[in-house]
Amino acid sequence: MPAFARFVAARFSAAMATMILVSLIVFTLMELVPGNCAERYIAYKASQGFTITDADIRAEEVRMGLDRPFVIRWVDWVTGVFFRFDLGESCLWRVSVNQLIGDKLLLSFGLAGGALVLTYALAVPIGMASASMRGGWLDGVIRILSYLGLALPNFLLALIIMLFSTIWLGDTMTGLFSEEFREAPWTWARFADLMSNAWMPIFILAWSAMAIQIQTVRAMMSDEQDKLYVTAARARGLSGGTLLLRYPARHALGPVVNSVGFDLNRIFNDLPIVAAVLILTEAGALLLEALALSNDQQLAGAIILSMTALIVLLNFLTDILLAVLDPRIRKGFF
Amino acid sequence: MAFLGMGKRVALPEMTSEEYFTAGQGRLIWQRFKANRTARFALYVLAFFVLCGIFAPFLSPYDPTAAGRNADYTNGAPQVPKFCDVNGCSLRPFIHGTERTRGPETNFRWVTVQTEERTYLTFLPRVAPYRLFGVIPMERRLFGAEEGFVHLFGTDAQGKDIFSRTLHAVGVSLAVGTMGVLISFVLALIIGGVAGFFGGWIDTVLQALMDTVKAVPTIPMFMAVAAFMPESWTSEQRFFFISLALGFLGWGTLARRIRTHVLAERTADYVLAARMAGARPFHVIRRHLLPSFTSYIIVDLVISFPYMVLAETSLSFIGLGLKDPVNSLGVMLQNTTRVDVLLNYHWYFIPVPIFVAIVLAFVFVGDGLRDAADPYSERR
Repeated sequence: MPAFARFVAARFSAAMATMILVSLIVFTLMELVPGNCAERYIAYKASQGFTITDADIRAEEVRMGLDRPFVIRWVDWVTGVFFRFDLGESCLWRVSVNQLIGDKLLLSFGLAGGALVLTYALAVPIGMASASMRGGWLDGVIRILSYLGLALPNFLLALIIMLFSTIWLGDTMTGLFSEEFREAPWTWARFADLMSNAWMPIFILAWSAMAIQIQTVRAMMSDEQDKLYVTAARARGLSGGTLLLRYPARHALGPVVNSVGFDLNRIFNDLPIVAAVLILTEAGALLLEALALSNDQQLAGAIILSMTALIVLLNFLTDILLAVLDPRIRKGFF
Repeated sequence: MAFLGMGKRVALPEMTSEEYFTAGQGRLIWQRFKANRTARFALYVLAFFVLCGIFAPFLSPYDPTAAGRNADYTNGAPQVPKFCDVNGCSLRPFIHGTERTRGPETNFRWVTVQTEERTYLTFLPRVAPYRLFGVIPMERRLFGAEEGFVHLFGTDAQGKDIFSRTLHAVGVSLAVGTMGVLISFVLALIIGGVAGFFGGWIDTVLQALMDTVKAVPTIPMFMAVAAFMPESWTSEQRFFFISLALGFLGWGTLARRIRTHVLAERTADYVLAARMAGARPFHVIRRHLLPSFTSYIIVDLVISFPYMVLAETSLSFIGLGLKDPVNSLGVMLQNTTRVDVLLNYHWYFIPVPIFVAIVLAFVFVGDGLRDAADPYSERR
């Protein structure tokens, strides 16, 4: 048990180190944008007809705390984010980022989580089936599809689905909510409406992660199937699904669990662009808007940091899960 | 059963056993690659598109920018060259002329109708002088129309020829990908090589850095970096900045691979011998370690190439990457989410299958090279 606690502690500190480094990179990027918050605010006031002097800018900087050294501001920002869930203040809108993001970040996490679940719910059985029918026509079809998943990025798939649904269904299939629910508070009816619209974006988001995962599962399963322990199990009279699930599938589980965090990364990668195509009102689209249109670095930094935090957390959890699941590692701990 | 086949070496086609045992690494890889039919076909496809991209100015009938636009045929449908029509057949391909009309019968919308008039295509017509690769002066293009324009893939809202734009876009995407891959390769080589060779705390710190770069979602990060570009930049400046950013964000995976290779090889006897002979670390890495896994690096570069191209496409698509006078797939797909495009102008999407084919070709060539570079893959 103490060995296990040490392992968890080691993984945890590694995750924390990663997060600190990520926050440093994101914060530096935010700082590198020319013109700080005070200057931009003053420039705005100047455009409204006020006469502004250099002294006014300096005074505004002091008021916003921008005169403090870089490191102190960074620590301030990071501790605010992690301990008080305070994502800072948007320079442009002059309200807190929390208020701007609202439930959009949760919506993004929900979409990404749904896509992740769908990825594994489909990729694992399909990959296993493909491996057990190696060389057959179904295997061929699955392989072609999964290669297409590599070559046809999610946003192009979204575009193509939009193209065909406008031609044949007369509906672009965009948006997350129907009109009457767009600004409504959360109720069951709104949730049901979200689900009736969200299945398509979730599928599109899962698309390329699924393609790669099918290839991984297929490769792992076909490698393991030829091994002697599987032949031995078959000689003992096991066959079909029982044999597959009890022996090679458990062996192939490791790399699959290991890549959950990586797949979440892949899904977050595609989220802003798919959101732009399908007009999804969630944090990915907000990120795009913050970067491309309004140049709102505080908002963008907060969203990137939250996404990365979720990925790092998931990586940490899967590391622990893998250690518990895999008897070869577990025996050393308990 | 795999172990029964061990020891029996399957000779490669076209190679006697003596040739086999004396062949160099490169020759062996090439022979194994050639034996893989899918990969060989993909290589031909890839070579075809690379040539298309390089010679785009010659192959495309018009200038892909606003300079070559056909103002009388905006949002025009693709014109398919024909040999026959109601008036009989001809040996030279021709297209039908078009006329725009508007009236009660078309619901007062401008509609393009085909006329019976034939416009013959011409081979190697003389056009306004241009420069191939920016240096070679040329005054002929591969084909054109006798009078007026020919648009194989139709035109966009400004009347720019989509066929010409697509060919140029192929070239631009490949160029961005090449630059990005080269930059990330140099970075990965330095960081991965140093981490693997020196080990210890340097390795720990650099590994933490690699983990961090891998954990951050690339495209959002990339968007943040791309947002730095001032609006006033020229398209060339944007092009270089985008390639640079692609390289700087894409080195993580490759650096890790190089680190692993170096780590595995650095205790080998030949490295020890070189070090005892007084070779400096840089010399050892460059002359002894690198050649031992060059083939793997090449494979990794080919595999990472499509990701670079796709990242550039995504960025340009949302308007943070390349901009209009420069063509890339992403630039061409901007504005295609509008309902009138989705409903009426389907030819805007013709470049999509072409790019899917290019990326697929890269993936298959990469897979084939990976199998060919793996000396154990033969026994299967």
